[in-house]
Amino acid sequence: MSSIENTPDTSTDTAAASAPARRRAIAWDGFARYGAVLILLIVLFIVLSLTQPRFFTKANIENLLTGVSILWVVSLGMTFVVLTGGIDLSVGATLALTGIFLSKMVNLGIPGGVVFVMCILFGALVGGLLNGVLIGRIGLSFFVVTLGTMVGLGGVVSLWSNTRTTYVDSSFINAIGINRLLGIPVPIWIMVASLLVALYVQRSTYFGRDVYAVGGNGDAARLSGIRVSRTLVAVYAIVGGCAALAGAIQVGRIGAASPEVGGDLALNAAAAVLLGGTSFLGGVGGVSGTAVGVLFIGTLQNGLGIAGVSSFWQQVVTGVILIAAVLIDRIRQSGAFRGRSRVLTTEQPSAAGA
Amino acid sequence: MTVATSTALLEVVDVHRRFGGVHALRGATLSIKHGGTVHALVGENGSGKSTMLKALAGQLQPDAGTIRLDGEEVEFSHPTVALRRGIVTVTQETTLAPDLSIAENIFMGHRMERGRLGIRWGATSRRAGEVLDRLHLELDPNQIVRRLRPDQQQMVEIARAISMDARVLILDEATSSLTDDEVESLFAIVRRLRDDGVATVFVSHRLSETFALADEVTILRDGSTVEAGPLEDYDRTSLLGAMVGREHEEPPVRPEFRSSESALLSLRGVSVPGAVQEIDLDVEPGEIVGLAGLVGAGRSELLGAVFGLYPDRSGEIRLAGESIRVRSPRDAVDHGIGFVPADRKGQGLVLTMSVRENLIMAASCNRPRMLRPSASAELPVVDHALATMRIRTASPNAAIGTLSGGNQQKVALGKWLAAESKVLLLDEPTRGVDVGAKTEIYRLLGDAADSGIGILVSSSEVPELLAICDRIVVMFRGRVMATLGREEATEAAITRYGTGHE
Ligand SMILES: Nc1ncnc2c1ncn2[C@@H]1O[C@H](COP(=O)(O)OP(=O)(O)OP(=O)(O)O)[C@@H](O)[C@H]1O
Ligand SMILES: [Mg+2]
Repeated sequence: MSSIENTPDTSTDTAAASAPARRRAIAWDGFARYGAVLILLIVLFIVLSLTQPRFFTKANIENLLTGVSILWVVSLGMTFVVLTGGIDLSVGATLALTGIFLSKMVNLGIPGGVVFVMCILFGALVGGLLNGVLIGRIGLSFFVVTLGTMVGLGGVVSLWSNTRTTYVDSSFINAIGINRLLGIPVPIWIMVASLLVALYVQRSTYFGRDVYAVGGNGDAARLSGIRVSRTLVAVYAIVGGCAALAGAIQVGRIGAASPEVGGDLALNAAAAVLLGGTSFLGGVGGVSGTAVGVLFIGTLQNGLGIAGVSSFWQQVVTGVILIAAVLIDRIRQSGAFRGRSRVLTTEQPSAAGA
Repeated sequence: MTVATSTALLEVVDVHRRFGGVHALRGATLSIKHGGTVHALVGENGSGKSTMLKALAGQLQPDAGTIRLDGEEVEFSHPTVALRRGIVTVTQETTLAPDLSIAENIFMGHRMERGRLGIRWGATSRRAGEVLDRLHLELDPNQIVRRLRPDQQQMVEIARAISMDARVLILDEATSSLTDDEVESLFAIVRRLRDDGVATVFVSHRLSETFALADEVTILRDGSTVEAGPLEDYDRTSLLGAMVGREHEEPPVRPEFRSSESALLSLRGVSVPGAVQEIDLDVEPGEIVGLAGLVGAGRSELLGAVFGLYPDRSGEIRLAGESIRVRSPRDAVDHGIGFVPADRKGQGLVLTMSVRENLIMAASCNRPRMLRPSASAELPVVDHALATMRIRTASPNAAIGTLSGGNQQKVALGKWLAAESKVLLLDEPTRGVDVGAKTEIYRLLGDAADSGIGILVSSSEVPELLAICDRIVVMFRGRVMATLGREEATEAAITRYGTGHE
């Protein structure tokens, strides 16, 4: 497979990595960027298990996971957007909107399963056509566009729902929120499935590579024949679809579509993505880190709640940890942890002197 | 000059530095005896020049070895520490804030004149004016940096350097994107600084520049210093020999091109408003056509127009006789056209990605996007490119940013060879590339042409065009002034047409 041995080069450090080394390098991509948070998560988990008798129980772990399922799904989608160097502030509004859409469709008498699929397509359309086209095709700033759609869609939500909560009576939708499959709540199954799909798309498709290329250097990607605007439309459609999936879970869990949901979702998702080591400059990071970030936020809030810390303090602590995590990353990049091998696909070259 | 002769001004002794598996410096040494000299640091791509200079500037810390300033051992834990001791670096990438004025950039941050009511802009700008005067630069201190030419921006960097009372000025490939005239004016300033007692460390892959400017030389090979001494002891051949450790081979002379009278790429009346007008040009299969001319002659814009960068382009592009539609880079790629832009880091490569992903990017751009990239299909292509182009990398999965400049350039070129392009458009293909790698790139281009690819190459280095091209098109102010065959193409003729003379 390797014709490298014939290289007529005198240098010893010429390309000569063996095939297994290559595979390992790919499999571990990005780990270095969220490893610290993962360790912190494990420590936190152990400490909570030892100190809080009510923490490590089946009921509480299920509670913890289903509690972050909405953030999880949205953050996975958000990761793709952040990888392209953008952010989607409108996910909360999209979530509320798709919830209303769902309730209207169910009330028209359309079967739950069909509505579920329609709902996700609707979310993807909203994200792709509004945010995606304006940002990807027309080239407007992602910040301005998604801020605009956040506000605008928020208005649409109020108008369409008359600011009233609508009850949704569909066994299928309710099942998504609260039923169990093989003894495990459906939202947890959805979390597992969405992570697997996201991992596959990110690592094992050309599209996943395009996302990294567009975020790493959009100009170079375009000059290499990659369809940059199409890629951008796609990532905003993905996050829209994820928001819709999260919306369906939300409706299923409370049995109703409320216009009041999703308020701070965009910022929490951004926090999880950041905590998971994805660079806001784009091109570096990935969904496995995001999963760790979401779990970290969820565990912290759950643990602090059990320990009787007020939710305001939970917020303060989450904020402090977020900044600390970025700080650690900065210190590590500036060379304090030198000597680590840099054969990681998504590793950022050290910007010496920056 | 009142410099003690016993202790050297600056000494780097036996410095080592590793990056993961790459041993970038293994016993590098540099000694600048006193101020008022220009010291050339030469070596192949990846020999460790930038790494050593970064250690000198405090941008990275060596694993072992000492740095002495005036005989006193120093440790530059941070760039500002080195700056405070008068060691200032200027590289080809400017670190200026483009939207601030020249004066603001020179006295960035706390170094501006302050009064009770904040910054005193008048005084700051006057002081900036004095610095610019010292360099004999006729620039308005209040001008915004973005509007300056690249060489003027470079000059502002140097102005900032000397405003910090630089004792050692490091120029790491600072000339690589400058034109001949701009290089001359930069040299004039360096010479003036030399007369003021400043020591300059100079890195350039153009040997002619090194010989024109430097007094002394240190030669790095594979991370260690192999020779050092006065530059007058060397000539081109012996310097190259010391750099590569064996006889340097000059690029092979291209055999006479025999026209097949069939154009592969033809341009008819191609215009881009404000840049190029009514260009007619043909490239035959297997032919290397050069584009010569001054900066601003429209060479880059012409290449960009063929590659679909300008929506307002008019005129016709034909490929193998058929008129093609090129409205975007993707259209061009789909027609088998490849483009290596001059700005390698900004446009040529995705620095956050691996060597492998960069190499395969263009070749895989028309695969279905939901497909899985197949390692068994990709790796042979990547391995082949790494081997035939002799790209030096720790692994195909190494981040491309860890490669030296010349090797990055080979990747930027290699991705189009991997994509099996029929036509290659190259803009300054050997910028920042060492002499040996230049020879290799010339060889690669020759091989590519021999396999039937048509190549259109723009370069501001006339000797380069003379060495590799079968035909040279000289442009002036967006128009073709002359098309010169092998025999007619001389440096004198190109300069004459390039400056607008008939
Ligand atoms: N941050 C880094 N991580 C890993 N390897 C690096 C890094 N920086 C440099 N290297 C490696 O160290 C070696 C020396 O690089 P350096 O940039 O100093 O070479 P150079 O002499 O300046 O080359 P050029 O003439 O191309 O600029 C190269 O093999 C390069 O790949
Ligand atoms: Mg260098």
